[in-house]
Amino acid sequence: MLLKLDKVAKLYGNRLIIKDVSCTIEPATVTLLAGPNGAGKSTLLKIMAGLSEPTAGKVELNVENDNIGYVGHQTFIYPDLSAIENLSFWSSLHGKKTDEKTLLAALDRVELKRFAFERAGCFSRGMAQRLNLARVFLLQPSLILLDEPGTGLDVRSMGILHNEIAAAKKRGAGLVWISHSVASDLVRADMVLAIRDKQVEYFGEAQDYTPEAVC
Amino acid sequence: MLKAAVSIAAKDLKLVLARGTGLIQALLLGLLLIFVFSLSQQIGEKMSAQAAAAIFWLASVFCQVLVFNTLFSLEEQNGARFGLLLSPAPVQAVWIGKALGGFVLLLCAQAVFLPATIVFLGQSVSHLWHIGLAMLIAIDLGLILLGALLGALSQGQAAKESLLSIILFPLLIPILLAGVRIGSATFSGIIPEGFGDWLGIACAFDALFGAAGLLLFGFIYSGEE
Repeated sequence: MLLKLDKVAKLYGNRLIIKDVSCTIEPATVTLLAGPNGAGKSTLLKIMAGLSEPTAGKVELNVENDNIGYVGHQTFIYPDLSAIENLSFWSSLHGKKTDEKTLLAALDRVELKRFAFERAGCFSRGMAQRLNLARVFLLQPSLILLDEPGTGLDVRSMGILHNEIAAAKKRGAGLVWISHSVASDLVRADMVLAIRDKQVEYFGEAQDYTPEAVC
Repeated sequence: MLKAAVSIAAKDLKLVLARGTGLIQALLLGLLLIFVFSLSQQIGEKMSAQAAAAIFWLASVFCQVLVFNTLFSLEEQNGARFGLLLSPAPVQAVWIGKALGGFVLLLCAQAVFLPATIVFLGQSVSHLWHIGLAMLIAIDLGLILLGALLGALSQGQAAKESLLSIILFPLLIPILLAGVRIGSATFSGIIPEGFGDWLGIACAFDALFGAAGLLLFGFIYSGEE
C-alpha cells in the first residue's frame, strides 16, 4: 500500500469540499479519479500529495523518501531557464545525479530534445505540459498524481502520456489520474475512485464501473 | 538539506542575474535614497558618520525587501512552489536556499551602496574597516534570515506583499541600530561606547531569527492557497 485515506474531509472556510473519503492506492495500479466539475477531485489530489492538510480524517503515506510526482494545473516551469536547465534543477533538488545525456533522453521521450536549450518561456502550452511530464517521469516517483495531465496536449502527445503512464505502472509506481475523458481513459485504469456530492460514490475495480453514473 | 538549499540558491541567482529586473530595481532604489540624502548637504560639507551609516543601512533594508519579494515571486508564476514542497528535502531547505541567494544579492548591492555612500555623503573608510566588514556580515546575516522568513509571507497572494515591509521594519530595529553604531565607527575611526553590547545584540538577533526560521518557515511556506 502506497497511500491510504481514512474518512478524509476538507473545508475551505465554511464551505465543505469533500467528506468521508476513504481509499487505498496500491503499487503498480492506475486509479482513475472521476467526478463532475467542482466535485473536489483536485483538492483530494492535493491532500494525497501532502500539499493540503485534511480538516478531518487521516492520510497514511508509505512512499520511500517521500518520492511523489505531481502534475497539477500549473507546469512548475521556470520560464527564464531552458528546458534542460529546468529538468536539471528538479533532478538535483530530488537528490538525483543526472548527466546531460540522461536529461536529453528524458526530453527525447516527450519529443522536446531539439528544444532542450531554448527558454521554456517560449514554449506553447502543449510543449510546457510535455516538459512538465518529462520532469515527473525523469524523477521516477513511487507515487504519481496526475491532475488532468492531458490539458493542452495534442493526439500525438496524448500517446506519449499514455506510454509514460504504462511504463511507470510497469516499473511498480502507483498512479492516481484525474481525467476529463473518463470513458476513453477507463481502459487504462485498474481502479476507479468516483466522487459525487462531496463524497465517494464508487471505489473499486475499473471494469465494474459505469462512467455515465457520474460524468 | 544543504545540497537542496544550494541548488535553490544557484537557480535563483541564475534567474535573477539573467533577468536583472529585481536586482536593478533594488540597486536603483538604494542609490536614489543615498543621492537624495546627499542633496541635504551644502557643497563640500561632510555628513556625520552616524547619519551616513544610517542611510547606508536604510538603502540596504529597502534593497532587501525588493530582493526577497523577487526571490519568492520566482516560484509563483507557474506554481513551482508546489514542486519545491514536494521535493524530499525538508521545507527549511527552501528557507536556507532563499537566504543564501538573498545574501549574495544583498552583498552585490552593498558593493555599490558603499562607494556611493563614500562619494555622495563625503565619508571615508577608517583603519577599523575590518571590524566594519565583520559587522556587515553579521548584520547582513540577520537581515537575510528574517527577510527569507517573512518573504515567504508574500507568496500566494499579491495582496500579502505589503505585509513584508510592515512586519519587517519594526523587527529589524535592533539590528539596524547595531549596524548604524558600528557603521559610524567604520567611517569615523572612533570605537563607540558599548561596542561589545551592539556586537552581542547583532549575534543574538542572528541566533534568534536563525532558530525562528527553522521552526516557523514550514508553517508560513505551504501548499495551501
